[in-house]
Amino acid sequence: MWRALKTEIWYFWPWLLGGLGIAAFVVIVLSVLVRFLEQGQGPPVFVIAMFPIIAGMVVSFVAQGYRIEERRARMLLAGPMTPRQLAWVTVLLPVCFVVLGILAVIPMIGLATLITGKFEASAVPMIAGFAGQFWAYAQLGPLAQESSAAHRERRTRATFVGWTAFAGAILILVASQFFMHRISGHFGFVTASVAAMGVAAVLYQGRTDFTR
Amino acid sequence: MNDHGSENNVAARLRGLTKRFTGFQLGPLDLTLEAGTVLALVGPNGAGKTTTLNCMAGLMVPDEGGTEVYGAPVHPARTEYRQDIGYVGEESGFFLRWTVRRNLDYLAGLLPGWSRERARHLSERIALPLDKPVSKLSRGNKTKLALVAAMAHKPRLLLLDEPTTGLDPVVRAEVLDLLWEIIEDGEHAVLYSTHVLSDINRLADELAFLRDGQIVLRTGRDELSESWRRVSFRLQQENVDLDGIVEHRRVRSEHQVITRDAEATLQQLNHLGAEAVEVARMSVDEIAVQILKEGHHVARTED
Repeated sequence: MWRALKTEIWYFWPWLLGGLGIAAFVVIVLSVLVRFLEQGQGPPVFVIAMFPIIAGMVVSFVAQGYRIEERRARMLLAGPMTPRQLAWVTVLLPVCFVVLGILAVIPMIGLATLITGKFEASAVPMIAGFAGQFWAYAQLGPLAQESSAAHRERRTRATFVGWTAFAGAILILVASQFFMHRISGHFGFVTASVAAMGVAAVLYQGRTDFTR
Repeated sequence: MNDHGSENNVAARLRGLTKRFTGFQLGPLDLTLEAGTVLALVGPNGAGKTTTLNCMAGLMVPDEGGTEVYGAPVHPARTEYRQDIGYVGEESGFFLRWTVRRNLDYLAGLLPGWSRERARHLSERIALPLDKPVSKLSRGNKTKLALVAAMAHKPRLLLLDEPTTGLDPVVRAEVLDLLWEIIEDGEHAVLYSTHVLSDINRLADELAFLRDGQIVLRTGRDELSESWRRVSFRLQQENVDLDGIVEHRRVRSEHQVITRDAEATLQQLNHLGAEAVEVARMSVDEIAVQILKEGHHVARTED
């Protein structure tokens, strides 16, 4: 399973690098513009942090789309992998890309600090809030995919569970928006993400059609 | 249906395999494929060929019944049977942006029993462009890659889902040549789905005709060629009731029939006093068309 996960990350690595490259470009332009237009003030650190995290989230959506289009399950089920392992590869990919995006926040903030000479340590809780939010968005992709697959395969109960979990995760996400920079908000994002991951993994294992 | 091989000589066995979709049901199918046999699953589009192969490859879970491959039950959650299967479908799950070589390297680490030597030999044999990204390959080369990927781990059962569909005649001949080379050792069992009827003559030992999700006939290729005939004769009476007739045309006293039991038909014609009887052989392609056209009239064979 880890090998398959590593291979998928490696396969989508160019997209991630491209996304982070665009994020770095935007951060530089924004930092330079704000520095000159606002007489030495830098852009808020949480705004800088958003770009690489969004890049990670977008790549997770790209990966999900390509894996469906390329019918990856067909190849992996020719080998010794079980549907459970395949399910974990599917739900762990978004986490990996978002985490890589979060890791890229550090050099991005460093870059912005170099340009503007300002750093706000107080923005860390807000950055954590954004990270949790985008992680939850990324995890909703596989959940929606598996709920649709369950519907297509006429697994009524699985369809109901899937879409109910999806709606529940959205509600938690909306509620958590009001507490972005607080622990309760972070807890809400993590709960929505983990729940979406777990339900998507269970639904995947119950698939009756691995041709898509 | 045909259920004759002894247990240890059976490559694949379908028992009541049933898969339901909205507006279509496959099966229940009962089918036995003996080791060393090439069975062509012949049928029009939408007959259920791909679904049958997907269930046999463990990519779909049937609603009822199941499949065994060399005695091991097939199910996506199980893995014992997988090394025995090589599957060539329309989509094989390759990393499209990676080169052929990189995909094969990945498969070498993924599939137990993979032989790099065999993969290299097969790739050279069919001139597979190893350094081209899969997304840039022609349809023919994608099929060739799928064949190499399906065969490099030396499976005993090959499931080929319309491997020659959409290929130009040259590439099609190359693919058929390769398949012929692989199966001529008699060690592989092959289930080959096709609606390209001319492939049948080249490869198949046996034929199973699938129509509307049901096997309407399973028979040996030679047996089929021996029993089906186009017969023309002259007879004064208008209505002729003959056994085994699947098509009957008449212009005045001239009759032309297609029979699936030439011997019985000729005996009856002799008894009726038919004149100017002429018997013509039919190609397997022509017979297949008749069977698929008239599938509901054709009795199932029981061995």
